[in-house]
Amino acid sequence: MRARLAVTLVLIALTGTGVSAAQDSPLSIHGLGMPGRFESVRARATGGAFAAFDPLSALSAAPAAAVGRYTATAAGAASYLKDDLNGVTGTRRTGRFPLFQVLGTLGHRVVVGGGFTTYLDRSYRVLIADTIMLDGSGQAVTDAISSDGGVTDARLVLARRWGRLLVGAGFHLLTGSTRVSAVRTFTDTSTYRGVSEADEVAYRGAGYSASAVLILPTVTVTGFARTDTRLTSEVDGAEVAVNDLPRTIGGAIRLQPSPDFGFAASLIRRSWASAADSNAYNTTSWSAGADVRLAGVPLRVGARGGDLPFGPGGRAPREFAVAAGSGLALSQGRAVIDFAVERLRRTGVGLTETGWTALVGLTLRP
Amino acid sequence: MRLGSTAWGRAGILVAIGALAALACVQDITSPPVCPDYCPGGKLVTIESVFTAAVARDSSFTGYRRAHEALVMLAANEASRDSRPIFQTLPIPIRVRIDSGSDTTTGAIVVDSARLTLTWLRRDATARNVRLELYRLPIGLDSTSTFASLAPSFGTPLRVVNLDSLLDLPTFRDSVTGDSIVSRDSLRRVIVVSIMLDSAQAPYSEADSGKAAFGVRVTADSHPALVLGAAENGEGPVLQWYRRVDSAGTLVNKAPQPPVGLSFDGFVSSLTPPPLDSNLAVGGVPATRSLLRFTIPRAIRDSSQIIRATLFLVPTGPPLVATSDTVFLKLARVAADVGAKSPLPADTIGEARSALFVPVGGDTVRLEVTSLMRLWQADTIAVNSAFISLVALERRDSTRITEAGEAGTFTSLQFFSSRTPAYRPGLRLTYVPRVKFGTP
Repeated sequence: MRARLAVTLVLIALTGTGVSAAQDSPLSIHGLGMPGRFESVRARATGGAFAAFDPLSALSAAPAAAVGRYTATAAGAASYLKDDLNGVTGTRRTGRFPLFQVLGTLGHRVVVGGGFTTYLDRSYRVLIADTIMLDGSGQAVTDAISSDGGVTDARLVLARRWGRLLVGAGFHLLTGSTRVSAVRTFTDTSTYRGVSEADEVAYRGAGYSASAVLILPTVTVTGFARTDTRLTSEVDGAEVAVNDLPRTIGGAIRLQPSPDFGFAASLIRRSWASAADSNAYNTTSWSAGADVRLAGVPLRVGARGGDLPFGPGGRAPREFAVAAGSGLALSQGRAVIDFAVERLRRTGVGLTETGWTALVGLTLRP
Repeated sequence: MRLGSTAWGRAGILVAIGALAALACVQDITSPPVCPDYCPGGKLVTIESVFTAAVARDSSFTGYRRAHEALVMLAANEASRDSRPIFQTLPIPIRVRIDSGSDTTTGAIVVDSARLTLTWLRRDATARNVRLELYRLPIGLDSTSTFASLAPSFGTPLRVVNLDSLLDLPTFRDSVTGDSIVSRDSLRRVIVVSIMLDSAQAPYSEADSGKAAFGVRVTADSHPALVLGAAENGEGPVLQWYRRVDSAGTLVNKAPQPPVGLSFDGFVSSLTPPPLDSNLAVGGVPATRSLLRFTIPRAIRDSSQIIRATLFLVPTGPPLVATSDTVFLKLARVAADVGAKSPLPADTIGEARSALFVPVGGDTVRLEVTSLMRLWQADTIAVNSAFISLVALERRDSTRITEAGEAGTFTSLQFFSSRTPAYRPGLRLTYVPRVKFGTP
């Protein structure tokens, strides 16, 4: 009964919001948005350091070859963020559903899977009070400009194991939409009518990825690469923008000196600079973390940092986060609930953003 | 993986997950506005442009509402114009039953007196010592009656009533003549004047079946002008006969005849309407309108949101006919554009009115036509033509402000038309072009 209750609560947490996106930010106003994170909750608890070795994460395809039975996982996240923009402060709360993956074996050590995760988040809302000159006098106006949604990475992966070598490839269909609106209200409503405009922007694109994992005694190394084509934005079926998408290369190493202690680190480089205008930058991000078991209880900690691809001011915004988490096995391991807490800090020109994110994930192995 | 060995530990984790589930249902993604660094690029832009060619093929037409169709009767007695209300009452039964019982014998009525009630709607605020002169006119008033044809009848008045003197009385009633004056509202915006006519003054004629025709002339020490209510607005003059019945030479008292309405009312004036020319004329009696045909740029009509539209009309000079009446311009779209006889729709959707003004100089007149422009944006097959007319303000009581309708004032204005390029009607549009969503 307790297992059923736990699974039910997690499902509520995962389906409580209809938004498939990652953390939003004022930085998602610029460029193509805020890139999503491809980690499962248990990988996220290590700062993402174990994501390149985690079959349940969507960072690379090769680790999926390690799966021996049908497995499904989903993640939910709730964030509480504080913004400080040149002394102007504000808070935001978001609930997200950033990841869903299903993997299964085909025999002959071949694993096939798929799922979706957030590729770009374009959720924001800004209220701008201004005064404009009309008819020779200043008119007070308030603009509410909002975007809700993003680009989802729906992937199909195929992976196979050859002894110590795991190889995988993936096809990524980029799809999704944002509901956008712009509303202007005048203080003098008797003279000027309000303006309201809303639309839906649809996105489409594609990508390909390949990866390999080499398992050595106490050490595991991996390398992965991914190229995405172009992101096409359409409004009412009409193409309004085409943007280049980045190439990604990365690698990671995992040390496993004992079954109860693991340490991993990763480095990823993405070429976002060609994606948008002068406010787009290539990014390098790193992560390091550990996964230990104390009396059979998993404890995960990690940190990550690096650049963010879009932001004003001629230099890339920076991000740093520390995370910790654990997990709870139910029904003889057929259901696993992972949870994590992350402390985040982003800095850009005139911006300091801090916040907490609580994540919960459910993994089922029927 | 096993976490915790006690039920309490597991329960605590489940409660935390439940709290997270509740928290995940709340979203507030509003961030502080710091522009331009952290404001979206696809923002709203407001453009204000004056389109001088937006009005074209404009014309003026007259004869829409004549004096006998007006909602009011105009009285004035000035050098530039002399206007006199005229009206004729309905016939009354000239024989009535003598006895109220079963005896059906009738006798001829004998009129003792009569009471004429007039509704005094507005006056020139500068008029002093306003007097009403009541004249008896020949039966047969109709729409062909003219100032000249009735002028001989305005000789000796039946009665002269000083309205200001009545207003000064403590009881508003003259105990000698029986005249009285009653304000319908606390601000004295509408006043009912009741004039008593004795047997010599009451113009009863058995040959005319009790029909009576009256003319009214106004005099004052200065600016003699006032406005009386007309039957078209339910406020026309009412005559009540006080009578007795002749019963074989004996006069028997009878209840007063119920108030009698009108068969005709209107006013005649010495004023000749100004002739129409290539400019745009509005107002006057009979009412003159101008038909404006609009052209909204397609880029704005189809791809922008109009948030304000203002029509500018430049007068050719001082009013053709100037009065002290407070007026405004009214713009009403036509249901179909067939020139002078273009029908007006039954509704008032999109109707625009200018601010109230008393035309004395040559100030430019503005009309806010936002609703009309937005209506034409929404209904792209609608006829983009509208009549513009001049309407006098009419205050009916302290809580309601209404209009006197067309032909409710002699004021006549003239504006430059599209045939005078330098001063042609202009349309200023304030609009927001479509936002380019989807571009980074």
